[in-house]
Amino acid sequence: MTRAVGRALVQVAMPVVSILGLWYLAILTTGLPAFVIPRPERVFQALVADRGLITHHLIETLKAAAVGYVLANVVGIGLAVLLVALPVARQLVMPAAITLRNVPYVALVTVLSLALGDTLGSKVAIVVLAGFFPVMVNTYRGLLAADPVVLDRMRVLSASPLEIFLHVRLPYALPFIVSAQEITGSGSIIVAIAAEWMISGSGLGYVINRAMQQYRGDQVYAVALLAALLSFLVYSAVHVMGRRLDWQSAARDRA
Amino acid sequence: MLPISIRGVSRRFGETLALDRMDLEVAAGEFVALVGPSGCGKTTLLRIVADLESPSSGEVRIGPQPAGTARGQRLLGLVSQRPAVLPWKRAIDDVVFTQRIARRAGFPAGDLLREFGLGGHEGKRPHHLSGGMLQRVNIASALAHDPPVLLMDEPFSALDEMKREELGEWLGQELARRPKTVLFVTHHIDEAVLLADRVLVFSPAPGRVLELASVPATRPRGPDFRRHPVFVETTAHIRRLLFRPAGVGGEAPG
Repeated sequence: MTRAVGRALVQVAMPVVSILGLWYLAILTTGLPAFVIPRPERVFQALVADRGLITHHLIETLKAAAVGYVLANVVGIGLAVLLVALPVARQLVMPAAITLRNVPYVALVTVLSLALGDTLGSKVAIVVLAGFFPVMVNTYRGLLAADPVVLDRMRVLSASPLEIFLHVRLPYALPFIVSAQEITGSGSIIVAIAAEWMISGSGLGYVINRAMQQYRGDQVYAVALLAALLSFLVYSAVHVMGRRLDWQSAARDRA
Repeated sequence: MLPISIRGVSRRFGETLALDRMDLEVAAGEFVALVGPSGCGKTTLLRIVADLESPSSGEVRIGPQPAGTARGQRLLGLVSQRPAVLPWKRAIDDVVFTQRIARRAGFPAGDLLREFGLGGHEGKRPHHLSGGMLQRVNIASALAHDPPVLLMDEPFSALDEMKREELGEWLGQELARRPKTVLFVTHHIDEAVLLADRVLVFSPAPGRVLELASVPATRPRGPDFRRHPVFVETTAHIRRLLFRPAGVGGEAPG
């Protein structure tokens, strides 16, 4: 028990030590000014001193990321189901989805900000556009991953398409949907911040943008640290939840 | 139990003829094994009977109705070589699942598993079961709604030799308790002769009836049957039919 706690402590301490070590090493060797690489203690000071401002904008970012994340899943899973149920739709949806995927985001963000202005809507739209594709592709693959032998069994039992979908295709797709969440979940926060940095007067992205113009390197780093932590937390939460939902890895754990 | 009537069934895949005018009448409660070289169309025939594929010509009737209607009425049970169990379901839930989808109560799931020698394993998921046990669960799930017709596609071929023989004998005993009309695809001649009332020997592709050999002995048959003259003679006869050199009498009679 104590050994387990000790090991957990080491696992947490080691990355912190290595990050701080590299950080100080960079300051000492590069000789860059403090507004480019502030010392870690200055960053933590900024995090505490500006906590009001940062919390306010953090909530803005989280709103955009959360709504966008949910909608990205609705759109992604919805399209995947459509593609499987109606293979004709592939010719219609896939080119559009791939085009959207390959248009530079900067252009999309610009168009969306012109269309929707600096609103929650424009941020959400960007998060959805960036996030739906991995969900769609993974879900689609997952829905097609059902074992043909099981599908034969269902057909011999004269199962309805809905029964086949709910009892076979969806459970087979679950591990694929879960792995898409690891991409889209943490990606949503990063994309929301990037969008704010480009077009918005609110959110963590905006804070970074403003701090940069004011040579407040400590604030930039404070926000970056916070964003990285958030993104990591979301990733871990999704990962843990995914392992519980995913019958494949759940099976491996129990085995 | 229902009879199966296969009349003039042919199947083409593009230019290739897989099955050529197959005829077969299976009586209610009869066990017919289908043997033949790889690619002779025996699995295709089974899938046509299961209404998973359509014949290019000819028809299959199960009892009074076409195969499609029989499938719609959940009169068929299918056993595949690879178990068609759901990886996330416990054995007992998998059996119940068949009954739920088929909307037929069939056999009590717990009793069925116990009689199949799976007592104490009802709560296990597929990855915790051995290959032989998994195939028993698979067969239990295929039988769960008590279909009058059982279609089996090489159910024991993925198992090792000892397990295969053991399960073959076990299946014979089970079918004595729960009589079904059975079509059984296999490439093991001994398995076919041990289990079947008649053995349909396929010609090489395109599949035709090379011979329909009777196995004149009562079922179920125990391990001793492997030394019985009927077993020895019938297996030898089928072996000769199948191993006949190509081109020598390769045409199907009739």
